[in-house]
Amino acid sequence: MKKSIAALTLSAALSNFTHASSADPLESPLWDYMRDQFIGNDKYVFDERIKVDVPEFAEDPTQVPITVNAEALSGQIERIVTWADLNPIQHIFTYFPHEQIVPRVSLRIKVQQGTAVRAAVLTKSGVWHIGGSYLDAAGGGCTTPSAAAANPYWESHLGEMKTKFFPRQSGGRYKLKIIHPMDTGLVDSIPEFYIESVIVKTSSGDNLASMQLYPPVSENPVITFDVRNPDQKHTIWMRDNGGNEFEQAL
Amino acid sequence: MMKKYLLLILFVIPSLSAMSAPLSYQLTAELVAENTWVLQGKLEDFSKRNGGNIVNTGFIVTGEGVIVIDTGPSLRYGKAMRALIESKTSQPIRMVFNTHHHPDHFLGNQAFDDIPIYSLPQTQKYIKLHGDAFAENMYRLVGDWMRSTESLPPTKALESSDITLGKHKLKLLSFTGHSGSDLVIYDETTGVLFASDMVFYQRALTTPHTPGIDIWRGEIKRLKQISYKLLVPGHGPIVSDQKPLKQMDEYLAWLDLTLQTSAEQGLSMTEVIQIPIAEKFSDIALTRREFARTVAHLYPHYEEAAF
Ligand SMILES: [Zn+2]
Repeated sequence: MKKSIAALTLSAALSNFTHASSADPLESPLWDYMRDQFIGNDKYVFDERIKVDVPEFAEDPTQVPITVNAEALSGQIERIVTWADLNPIQHIFTYFPHEQIVPRVSLRIKVQQGTAVRAAVLTKSGVWHIGGSYLDAAGGGCTTPSAAAANPYWESHLGEMKTKFFPRQSGGRYKLKIIHPMDTGLVDSIPEFYIESVIVKTSSGDNLASMQLYPPVSENPVITFDVRNPDQKHTIWMRDNGGNEFEQAL
Repeated sequence: MMKKYLLLILFVIPSLSAMSAPLSYQLTAELVAENTWVLQGKLEDFSKRNGGNIVNTGFIVTGEGVIVIDTGPSLRYGKAMRALIESKTSQPIRMVFNTHHHPDHFLGNQAFDDIPIYSLPQTQKYIKLHGDAFAENMYRLVGDWMRSTESLPPTKALESSDITLGKHKLKLLSFTGHSGSDLVIYDETTGVLFASDMVFYQRALTTPHTPGIDIWRGEIKRLKQISYKLLVPGHGPIVSDQKPLKQMDEYLAWLDLTLQTSAEQGLSMTEVIQIPIAEKFSDIALTRREFARTVAHLYPHYEEAAF
């Protein structure tokens, strides 16, 4: 008990040294380190309009749903970097949305313990807008072997994709699922094996959206994103770190 | 910032004295029918405050010994339950039943380790397989209440579907809807139905191991055919009418429809979690939290079907 009171006093003392405008609203102990890792010395602001939706509690730490929504900055976005402060591998994805795609994406992630989940949006003017939410979790999501590791099903189904289009009030939505173990490399003798690149192309071959994924994305990823022009034809292309490429018309 | 921490400290210090007092469940048993006692748990989630006492357990004093139905969430609970039984009767405890493999129903087993403990065969397997992980999780959720608790799997798998002891003739009914292996006990002598977690009443149902909402609903229909005098749900108040079965059916139907419609609209999981709970379930405890958990358990299946 003594120890935790000492810790409280210490963090109370430390917090006095932090400048008010740059204080992390999620009060994460790793904020300064994470900032240094992901945005360096760039200018940044905490921005409530950058939404990171997570459940109150991670019922299954290997499949935690998150939605990152940067619609408030539509048209000004250079990229969106998403990470979990207290994960052994923090980086979840980096997203480069084209103006013709809604800067909002949903997928599922693995978490190792309760953590702040962040989205840092770099605008074309060079300022990072940072949003985030705290996710409570019991833990173990990153060091649990993927179900695939125990079951050879994926070997014969690797890269199989299911996709579906859903009309929305304005524009449309794609949801896709791909069979892939997304192994983190943190489990004994199972090497890192994950999809590292996802690109949505228009029929004319332009990139509408491009995403770099990292191992905290859950096994058999389910990704949801919205397009502004539902009449356009789209294709999805992915590549994993083993060099396998997967492509499908949406 | 500073203020918040000071508040925290003020909050921590008074609880130091509370923590030095020994933890006690203060269990009481209510005589709900002839020879039939029920220990009612709180309509809450597991917490360090309630020690996991959120479950209804019971015992029947048959004339030729006592039958115990579920043993609670911890060794401490099991011991307190056994002391309570022994304060109500001098008859020996003859058999213990675990209705299913969820931690609040069997982790008191150690207090009855000198007595045969029965369950459905599948429940026995599940507890052997997952009991330790459940116990570990309970330590994390409720803390010191769990001290010295270990998973003790049922010693006997049920082979028959009825049992008679003293004046009491019990029907042992096998279901799957809630946990994959659910024992419901109907006492034909008193008309008391120990519905286990097949029935939650006024407390949101939980779905971590359900084989499917449709299966659960089908089995609720079977339960409706039993003309019981009194229903003891796994969680929630004891009643003599069919309200709990109606509530179960309506809530399960709402869950099924909500998840299916959401999947057909392409909603993501975080969007589904935010859907408001239907107004008619507003007096059920913990719907918000349990709905979010149910989405995590079941929505991927609905999504898969909608591709
Ligand atoms: Zn249960």
